[in-house]
Amino acid sequence: MSRDQMTPLERLAAYGAGAPIDRLPCVPIVGNTAARVIGVKVGDFRGNGALIAQAQVAAYRLFGYDIIRIFTDLYTQAEAMGAKVSYPEDETAFLAAPAITDLAELDRLRPADPQRDGQLPQHLEAMRRAVDQVGHEVAVTGAVTCPFTNASFLVGADKLARLMMRSPEMVHHLCEISLQTNIAYAGAIIDAGCTPSLTDAMSSMSVISPRQFREFSFPYLKRLIDYVHGRDRKVTLHICGKTSGIWEAMVEAGADCLSIDNDADLGEARIAVGDRVRLMGNVHPSEVMLQGIPDAVRRATLSCLAQAKDSPKGFIVASGCSLPTETPFANIHAMLDTVREAGWPVKN
Amino acid sequence: MGQIDNELFKRLSDAVVDMDEDEAIAAANEVVERGIDAYQAIEKGLSAGMERAGQFFDEEEYFIPELLMCSDAMYAGMDVLKPHLRSDGAAEKHKVVIGVVEGDTHDIGKNLVKIMLETSGFDVTDLGRDIPPARFVETAKEIGANIIALSTLMTTTMDGMGAVVRQLSEEGIRDRFKVIVGGGPISQGFADRIGADGYAVNAADAIRLARALVAPAEAAA
Repeated sequence: MSRDQMTPLERLAAYGAGAPIDRLPCVPIVGNTAARVIGVKVGDFRGNGALIAQAQVAAYRLFGYDIIRIFTDLYTQAEAMGAKVSYPEDETAFLAAPAITDLAELDRLRPADPQRDGQLPQHLEAMRRAVDQVGHEVAVTGAVTCPFTNASFLVGADKLARLMMRSPEMVHHLCEISLQTNIAYAGAIIDAGCTPSLTDAMSSMSVISPRQFREFSFPYLKRLIDYVHGRDRKVTLHICGKTSGIWEAMVEAGADCLSIDNDADLGEARIAVGDRVRLMGNVHPSEVMLQGIPDAVRRATLSCLAQAKDSPKGFIVASGCSLPTETPFANIHAMLDTVREAGWPVKN
Repeated sequence: MGQIDNELFKRLSDAVVDMDEDEAIAAANEVVERGIDAYQAIEKGLSAGMERAGQFFDEEEYFIPELLMCSDAMYAGMDVLKPHLRSDGAAEKHKVVIGVVEGDTHDIGKNLVKIMLETSGFDVTDLGRDIPPARFVETAKEIGANIIALSTLMTTTMDGMGAVVRQLSEEGIRDRFKVIVGGGPISQGFADRIGADGYAVNAADAIRLARALVAPAEAAA
């Protein structure tokens, strides 16, 4: 397989400037699969920023993708605000209990201090170490779980959904304190030499309506993006599931790049908003990347290229969402190799 | 059936669609006061309303918050009507064991499927979330379930679904139960691979699937 001629930083800079590149940028979104690369258990990442960095840097070196994302699970900020997170020995952490079970405790919730609370200091440590080791050649990002999604972890998704109808002001309050945490954490991420990478799973049309997105998610998302822009960083925004009805709003919120989930249509996204934002996506993380064979990955990757390779503001070949931990290495290599073979300009 | 009955059924149905708990309770109380059959009021009123809400969900008129509110109204009306059900009124219901597999606590999807199954006349035993494979099997045997419904939102917990099917096979009771699976990372391909009987992409689809799976048994009875 032809190896890359450019570093990821060189490639993204040239691509952004409209200069020649060796291949399109490619980002299979590797999370806890990194543990497999260095042969440690997923649970070992807890409280160990050095190990997260070691694994993420090793995964980047093994596969040669274009962005490193420091990410273990969606709950780090909610945990830092009091949510209970379960850490299985060798699987991705999950939310065991929201920060509050009684709404009377709402006033007790405080924004997290990223230098002190929960796992946030360790994640920042991981970012600093990764930048230290490979920051000269590849962008390192830190995952930020956006206000509306984080709010759902503070009170529980069912409760938040009902509050939207019964006590909208409480939802706004939860989003506001989540935003304060987000801004503090995003600031710390930028101070660490990284770029915040925004994820907003619950803002999906698979959960709430476009109108509810406008009312409860958009205002806070926009303020978060404004903050990141104010610190001179570009913003990639990932919303899971169906999103076609909110693409316009995501662009209006200021995102520079939309990460399109496999439940949404990449070709449609290109037509709808490709003239205003960069797109990335959307090979199916479980059906293709986890369960498929390399040839299926190759076909899915070519299909994404066909749909969006000429998107006016650019395209990054990516998985539709974070990869499952046990994704076979051969499939991740297959995605990169397909993009390398396609070259630039992309062969048909 | 009288006009008043039908009007009350419509009020119950509308109360569910309009997410109006108070109205559901008021209409249900009137059903009781007038001595109208509670089973019919649930069937033609509350359940019919929930079915309409499900259609709105399919059509992206309603989303998860609306469906939850509709179900709150349905259950509020149900609480009033249930004590007045004549035990011989209803036919024997098909039984479903449902839960989120071990390692996952996302249960919004599972809750919706449960609500819609109950609405459609299934007798649902909800094990909750983070449930080990063996408990699904034990409970299914215990209550004589027709269907075991497994949900997960996380790729990390998908294996638990295969474990349920394997355990059923190992115990030689695989053909006694239909196993259905659903959730974010699940696909028809995955369902086929683990040997499940069906996959549903959303709550409405899960109802169609469950009905189809119990239909042959009904024809034979």
